[in-house]
Amino acid sequence: MLDVRDDNAAAFDELMLRYQNRLVTVLEHLVGRRDQAEDLAQEVFLRVYRARKRYVAGAKFSTWLYTIANHVAANALRSSSRRPEVNLTARPTESGSSNVLDKMALAASGAMPARQLDKAELRDIVRAALAGLSERQRMAVLLNKFEEMSYADIAVTMEMSPQAIKSLLSRARVNLKEILEPYLQDGHKPK
Amino acid sequence: MIGNESQNPELHDELTAYLDGELDAEAVRRVEERLARDPAYHAELQKLERAWDLLDRLPRSAVNESFTKTTIEMVALAASDDAAAAQQARPRRAKHLTAALGAVAAALVGFVAGHFLWPNPNAALLRDLPVIEHFELYYQADNIDFLKLLESEGLFAEQEGEHGG
Repeated sequence: MLDVRDDNAAAFDELMLRYQNRLVTVLEHLVGRRDQAEDLAQEVFLRVYRARKRYVAGAKFSTWLYTIANHVAANALRSSSRRPEVNLTARPTESGSSNVLDKMALAASGAMPARQLDKAELRDIVRAALAGLSERQRMAVLLNKFEEMSYADIAVTMEMSPQAIKSLLSRARVNLKEILEPYLQDGHKPK
Repeated sequence: MIGNESQNPELHDELTAYLDGELDAEAVRRVEERLARDPAYHAELQKLERAWDLLDRLPRSAVNESFTKTTIEMVALAASDDAAAAQQARPRRAKHLTAALGAVAAALVGFVAGHFLWPNPNAALLRDLPVIEHFELYYQADNIDFLKLLESEGLFAEQEGEHGG
């Protein structure tokens, strides 16, 4: 990043290549749409470039990158919440389900036959469970799970205290456990 | 036993921090001790862990070349815009600096010219002040040679001493 700060274009390309998939992954799970995640990732990289002179030697680049990503995603989610057509939990999924949580509720009610969940279904269920978390919980979970960030680094990224991050992640884990409980019983949808 | 404690946020904070490797050695020892003797506490930990592990099923994104190319182009465009803006700002800055220096120089020239072309009227008054102060005395003498004679005799020095004392 120090090379980027000193206007080395090749260094910026390298940084981008190293982080682009990771950043898009986090943003996609955060905003719920791949195309929007890519747009936001481009905005994040552009902001990183524009702010390169303010980068302080010794600071972790990933922390800096995700701090910017957090702001960009929060703005996007605020705008989305003002547009009623965008709904994270009710978006269409690859397995054709319009609302996975509804399906889970149906399964839990015993109206569906018990059977092993296929990979796509399971992925949709987990995705819906993640989407069911609050925006902050989701961000903390993604940074912890995908970026393997410590509480201290997540705290810096999300501009909160490490203690607040500890509680946030704890609540997120409990919420995930509760949403995924039917599957957690024995790996099957309950009768 | 865990019992109603499963709703206790502190218990979940502790288990979560344990799973995330964020507890200090003493807290780890305490948690592991309880895990060994409390099956419900242990079961709660396992549920949290299994739910967390399911997140591994989430797909990871892989962008295509077009994304990389477009992003690099966007950044290159931003860089050239920044360079152009900096270049435009440079002559503008120089113009502002020249204008400021010109104004200072004009003010200086104006002051000097004014000083020489329009002498200060107070300067003449200051120069003539001793005469003005003793005007009555000079007027009565009516003869400058006589006054000079009196001055050479030391008459005015005596008066100045009296005034000064």
